[in-house]
Amino acid sequence: MELCDLSAFEIREKILSKEVSAVEVLESSLKRIEQVDGRPGTIDSGPITDEDKKRVHSFITLTETAAREQAQKVDKLVAEGKDPGPLAGIPTTIKDVFCVKDTPSTIGSRILANFKAPYTATPVERMRGAGAVLLGKVNLDEFTYGSSTESSAFQPSTRNPWDTSRVPGGSSGGSAASVAAGEAQLSLGTDTAGSIRQPAAFCGVVGLKPTYGRVSRYGLIAFGSSLDCPGPIARNAKDAALMLKAIAGVDAKDATTANLPVADYMAMLEKDIKGKRIGMSSDYFQLTFPNAGTGEYSQQPVPEEIKNAVLQAAEIYRLLGAEIIENVPMPNTRYGIPVYFVISRVEAASNLHRFDGVKYGHRTPQKTAELKEMYRRSRGEGFGKQPKIRILMGMYVSAAHYSEQYYQRALKVRTLIRQDFERVFDPDGKYKLDALLTPTTPTAAFPMDAVFGDSVLMQYADQLTVPANHAGTPGVSFPGGFNVEGLPIGLQLLGPDFSEGELLQLTHAYEQATAGAGWRKKIPTVLREE
Amino acid sequence: MAEYEAVIGLETHIQLNTKTKIFCACKADSWEDPPNTNICPVCTGLPGVLPVLNRKVVEKAVLLAEAMGAEVQPVSHFDRKNYFYPDLPKGYQISQFDIPVAIGGYFDLPIPETADPQGKGYIRKVRIHKLHIEEDAGKTKNARNKRQVDFNRCGVPLVEMVTEPDLRTADEAAQYLVRLRQLLRWLGISEADMEKGNLRCDGNVSIRLKGSNVLNVKTEIKNVNSIDSLRDAIRKEIDRQIREVEAGNAIHAWTLEWDDDKGVLKKMRSKETEADYRYFREPDLLPLKISDEWKSEILKSFPELPLDRRQRFVDDYGLPMYDADILTLERGLSEYFEATAAMYKGDPKKVSNWLMNDVLRMINEQKLTPMEMALTPTFLVELLKLVDVGTINITTGKSLLQVVQDSGKSPAGLVEEQGLVQVKDDALIREICEKIMEENPDEVELYRGGKETLIGWFVGQVMRASRGKADAKLAREILFELLT
Repeated sequence: MELCDLSAFEIREKILSKEVSAVEVLESSLKRIEQVDGRPGTIDSGPITDEDKKRVHSFITLTETAAREQAQKVDKLVAEGKDPGPLAGIPTTIKDVFCVKDTPSTIGSRILANFKAPYTATPVERMRGAGAVLLGKVNLDEFTYGSSTESSAFQPSTRNPWDTSRVPGGSSGGSAASVAAGEAQLSLGTDTAGSIRQPAAFCGVVGLKPTYGRVSRYGLIAFGSSLDCPGPIARNAKDAALMLKAIAGVDAKDATTANLPVADYMAMLEKDIKGKRIGMSSDYFQLTFPNAGTGEYSQQPVPEEIKNAVLQAAEIYRLLGAEIIENVPMPNTRYGIPVYFVISRVEAASNLHRFDGVKYGHRTPQKTAELKEMYRRSRGEGFGKQPKIRILMGMYVSAAHYSEQYYQRALKVRTLIRQDFERVFDPDGKYKLDALLTPTTPTAAFPMDAVFGDSVLMQYADQLTVPANHAGTPGVSFPGGFNVEGLPIGLQLLGPDFSEGELLQLTHAYEQATAGAGWRKKIPTVLREE
Repeated sequence: MAEYEAVIGLETHIQLNTKTKIFCACKADSWEDPPNTNICPVCTGLPGVLPVLNRKVVEKAVLLAEAMGAEVQPVSHFDRKNYFYPDLPKGYQISQFDIPVAIGGYFDLPIPETADPQGKGYIRKVRIHKLHIEEDAGKTKNARNKRQVDFNRCGVPLVEMVTEPDLRTADEAAQYLVRLRQLLRWLGISEADMEKGNLRCDGNVSIRLKGSNVLNVKTEIKNVNSIDSLRDAIRKEIDRQIREVEAGNAIHAWTLEWDDDKGVLKKMRSKETEADYRYFREPDLLPLKISDEWKSEILKSFPELPLDRRQRFVDDYGLPMYDADILTLERGLSEYFEATAAMYKGDPKKVSNWLMNDVLRMINEQKLTPMEMALTPTFLVELLKLVDVGTINITTGKSLLQVVQDSGKSPAGLVEEQGLVQVKDDALIREICEKIMEENPDEVELYRGGKETLIGWFVGQVMRASRGKADAKLAREILFELLT
């Protein structure tokens, strides 16, 4: 076991006790990156080689020099007996959706391939302020539009450390893979429909989508502004708690952040879960999707092994003293994806307007006779397929004569989805739940190229995660064993507004209860001796 | 020819005079600054940035809404207005759409005799459709085959105020702007300088047969940058529409651009199909909630409005409407008048005369606000009283105004210091008069020969010889006696 395989919390303890230096920790991470990551994602990368197919490819930009300086600074503070901050010396990756000053901020798109932000995103600033050592920017789906990271313009795209023929999930694929492969202890991701939780599930790590407004979006290149949530990806609940504490809280630069105190997540972890009410809903054990031709809904149950993993977790919680409430109705879950198709596209199309080649980013090298032609060519060349499809759809459903039929209607259904959650979490209601236990995803990691290209099917990978984005409520995905193919299975806990502490507490309780289980000893295939 | 009337509605964009922009901390006023100096990631729409609403913008908008009698909405919303233009860095403008900050209201517009064909003057009630808050865009210009963009103006706060089509003549439209400009400065919410673009106005014009209630196809006039241009442009557009209709032609919904140099309207584009801005709620801002507490806090300092004060000056001080109008053109002047009149306790008309004839000129020449004058209301009252009791004469009094202003010393002190006390001594004045007559035998001859109007000239000579200090009335009496 290398230093880079320790948890963030363990690293922190060892640095504070001067058992190891932050520089040693960093070197261990850099060595791991060297061993497993392969070449970073680039535009115009050429063909994918057999060698590429064995590597993880988390990174787009590795900021080794800056990381070394940060690590040295931490060591200096420790040596001087000063407080180096709660994340002191912890190697961290940043999803390349966040602006970091003087560092390429590409959002995995050709249109921003040459863009260096002149400012730093609030959550990144807070992590750095807390002493984290930022290793660099990691890959993602272009503009976060996807669930597999394959749509990045920066290829090779990230591969799953448990099976490099499979996707890491997405859009925070680089984040989840870097944490799973031991390249970093922590990663900052974003979740618009499941983009933290789904890759966390696919890569066997913990991913938390906080309540909307708990973590500032300032500096996050927007996708669906009313849905986007930055959050931690980590090896376990304790590490996620450590990181969330550092990044959460009101921000004067983001008017949608909540002006509420940040809970002491670490202290909450160790509390007893006796008496907690955990619900389960049949609406989360099947995929429901409309038939495009008939409009009828079809249903497909989630695979047995995923269902069983959830049921086993429920049994563990029961043994720990929690109360399990079955048959909790969440009837509007099935509308999550159709509603998301409308709302996120309208916001995305508008958010993409600013990329016009005028001020920054890609501008067509061709001579253009007039302004509109310059716009068209720059955007045509700069955007990949997903942004283009989403602009088309967003423009369509927000057009004045369709808005009532699509966008306005979607907003109403979104309210109904929110009400599903309010009903079951209401402390004076029938269910009084503390959390809802569900699978994170309807499948384990799928093979590269298997779903890519089918925008609709890809979107349904988010069906069990997207309702929380509509509702603005928090959710956490954590490892709950493996399927027969040796791929991680993710379990999800959904809670009421600002219940991050309780969700992490329940996650931690499950981790403690299963610490001795055989599957806990498995390590990703990329780390196994050949 | 049939008799037509015009139907005019105005859309004004009012730049609020906040220190900083609407969604970031950049300086709002860039009038004297080079291009692209008051900008930041937020107002230039860099990826990842978010807007944060400047509360002062809301406060100023609420003041205007109150002045218009508009209904301030307890909850209003910001929306994105999506379109592409290089001076709009986000590709959408943050504006308000279906639920703006204030709805309704009206403006009772006094139309002066000069703008009334009947020559009497009247009141035109102009209803306000709505007021909404939005951000300004930048500016583009063409320079040698290049399109240049200045983002300084991006994010400067605007209130867009739209009237109902209640105006009937070009003069009324001009009066609307005159009174709106007065009001905006009065409330201290905008510099309202049309030439600087603080106040911008588009006009919608259609015509119809007099007495009809239909709303016909309208044209939109853009790019007018003074009140006179607006009047001129609307007048010409009304004439054009009448000519077209008389010739049996249809009016098309064109957008017309005013060319100020040539004094003509040019067709910019047809506007047969409405642009689709794909409005939707701005997800980066919370709904704008204006609580009763906040509103009453804002309105704590709400002043008496200019037209109300004008009427009160007529009612309470017995001033002619003409005086009241001038004294209330500007809030500071009206306050200066009232402070002076209250301390003076004499005839307010006398205060008004001094202000309108002399003090106003000094204010304008020195580009001061009334309350910045060294000639304070206290000093002015002191001076008026010195004249009233005859310590100094009017001429001395008037020449003292500037001296007080320049020195900052009290009028009584200056009279003392410079020996300006009016000479009332009969013997002394008689002595001067005799000397003047002695030096000007020809004029004495002429007067005695019947040219009695020369008396004024003699008085003038006496005043000059006494350096203005002689009691002119007394001098005239003595001269009359000596010459006759």
